[in-house]
Amino acid sequence: MKKPRLGIFKLTSCDGCQLSILNLEEELLRVVELFSLSFFPMASDKELGGYFDLALIEGSISESRQREQVISVRERSRYLITIGACATSGGLQALKNWAVLESFKKSVYPDPALIESLSTSTPVSDHVYVDFEIWGCPVTGDALSETLACFLLDKRPTIPQYSLCMECKRKAIPCILVSEGEPCLGPITRAGCGALCPSFSRACYGCFGPRDDANIDSLMRWFEKSGYSGRERQRLLDTMNTYAYRRVQIEKKD
Amino acid sequence: MKRRINVKYLSRVEGEGALIIEIRNNEVEKVDLRIFEAPRFFEPILRGRPFQDVIDFTARICGICPVAYQMSAVHAIEAAMGVSVPQPVQDLRRLMYCGEWIESHALHVHFLHGPDFFGMESAWSDRDYGHIAQRGMKLKGLGNKILALLGGRPVHPLSVRPGGFFRWPEKKELYQLLPDLEKGFDLSLECISWAVSLFEGEEEIKDTGGFMVSLHNPDIYAMNTGTVCTSDGITYSMGEFTKVIEEYQVPHSNALHTGIKTGSTPQPFMVGPLSRINMSFTSLPEKVKSTVLQGGISLPLVDIRMSIIARCIEISYAFHEAINIIQGYDGTAPHVHVEPKEGKGLWITEAPRGMLIHSYEFDRKGNVVTARIIPPTSQNLAHIEKSLRNYIESNHHLTTKALRSGCENIIRSYDPCISCSVHLIDLTEGKS
Repeated sequence: MKKPRLGIFKLTSCDGCQLSILNLEEELLRVVELFSLSFFPMASDKELGGYFDLALIEGSISESRQREQVISVRERSRYLITIGACATSGGLQALKNWAVLESFKKSVYPDPALIESLSTSTPVSDHVYVDFEIWGCPVTGDALSETLACFLLDKRPTIPQYSLCMECKRKAIPCILVSEGEPCLGPITRAGCGALCPSFSRACYGCFGPRDDANIDSLMRWFEKSGYSGRERQRLLDTMNTYAYRRVQIEKKD
Repeated sequence: MKRRINVKYLSRVEGEGALIIEIRNNEVEKVDLRIFEAPRFFEPILRGRPFQDVIDFTARICGICPVAYQMSAVHAIEAAMGVSVPQPVQDLRRLMYCGEWIESHALHVHFLHGPDFFGMESAWSDRDYGHIAQRGMKLKGLGNKILALLGGRPVHPLSVRPGGFFRWPEKKELYQLLPDLEKGFDLSLECISWAVSLFEGEEEIKDTGGFMVSLHNPDIYAMNTGTVCTSDGITYSMGEFTKVIEEYQVPHSNALHTGIKTGSTPQPFMVGPLSRINMSFTSLPEKVKSTVLQGGISLPLVDIRMSIIARCIEISYAFHEAINIIQGYDGTAPHVHVEPKEGKGLWITEAPRGMLIHSYEFDRKGNVVTARIIPPTSQNLAHIEKSLRNYIESNHHLTTKALRSGCENIIRSYDPCISCSVHLIDLTEGKS
């Protein structure tokens, strides 16, 4: 059988999710055997044109050239999967969506006219059809290998859509929201990391984005009762998945 | 006769860059290392955020060296809040850095830079390289293991906070790492000999190394503390150093360039493992030193491509140091409470790629007023272009293809972290 052609693309991002592919270690060497790795500039000079059976995209769209790039990848790919918070929900850089770009540019560059940048950082799915999304900042190796294996088996990956609280309960970690009063985003956040922050006695800060049907307002009312100001509450949601959390808030209001 | 080298997309580096070189009648007319990685505006994003966010956000600047960002940030925050942490916390932070040095260097040596020495396009394009790739994976995996234990995960760990850690490991957990780390140390010595052997019978490329800068400590290999030393023997405090460097914008790059102010033009300098090794070789453990010297290598290393040797030496050192720290760990690293307050703090630590400068100003609630970050790659950019120029000038007899791969090798020698370099610096503060 012909090996499926795999492409790994990068837009605006930190490279951490691509690195999670390299972190698959022994499994990565299997991936290299099972797929024809056709485009992976972070690790290889080899660049082939043509189509991809599977395209993995890391990073958000924050420049106009990236819009064209992502359309071209979509046109040439059978399946397109986003990996990580940037590609799936715009990433930390999407915080600029709520600011004035010119003042941002001026605060960093002496000659802002040289910098081409869109005023927003948006997820890939705002621009093209996405077949599947892997959330997380960064994505986990498990989610990646599950997705690659499922692609080979032609089945949909089973990646949890429920909240982080389920993982905490399963690991018997005492609830830090209830017992410590910490502003934990667990109830509204997708599981997948293995409840890392609570296992370090730390409140979840939302690396994996909103879970399906997240009831953000209810959690915010809880935080309000615990004394967090409106600004502080918004800041809790405005991190790597700010765009996704805000979108859920707006959709609920409609 | 005009020749042009055009690398549209630099592969096997972290981030997006391109290279354009123009040579006319054996004279180099243009060397542009184009950085087109999209800017992410981290400094303005940080404004108004509480200090813990500085640690979690700046980690997202780089997926390969998040710990470096967390280390520079946490020290700068503690400097601003006037807090000092107990020795066990400092030791665990150093242990975490060891994990990142191993992970980042092992990746670069085996997967990004190594293939250049065998004319390969990637670490898996030749079966004969398979055992080397596997060694890289093994070493990288051990670095990741340290990070996962201390920080929860290797990419964007989550345990670091001002005053200490959210959770410190039990003695038993750390001790369980020891057998693997000892094997890792032996493997890393093999790595050094292998890297040294890459240069057997090779002619040195002169003048590609140059003006080197790194942190230095009299008795310990510098990671989180030290003074800034230059290869011509000048020593600066961290604060003084940031005053003698100048950042400037060039049209072909989304990343600012940096130089040391001397006369009318800023002088390019280089940071990173080659600078560190040359500066602090004597403070390495005997076993590491003797393995290097047995290979017939003499110091200082001046051929920039030899940074692959420097990285292998540092992998070895990091294993050695990690073992020492774990053996001395008594099982607690209590966290010191940090009360948010007004203040300014600046710190430099040694990221895998070189000095990483963070400087912040906080308001009375401990929220960020200004942030300034100078990553190692933006300090190196001007020097990379200088190395390329020197290389081409002394090798213009080569074919364009050979020159191109030579140039790519030189660029990779710096382990440029392009996504770090772009996001840049708050100049409003510097100007006022």
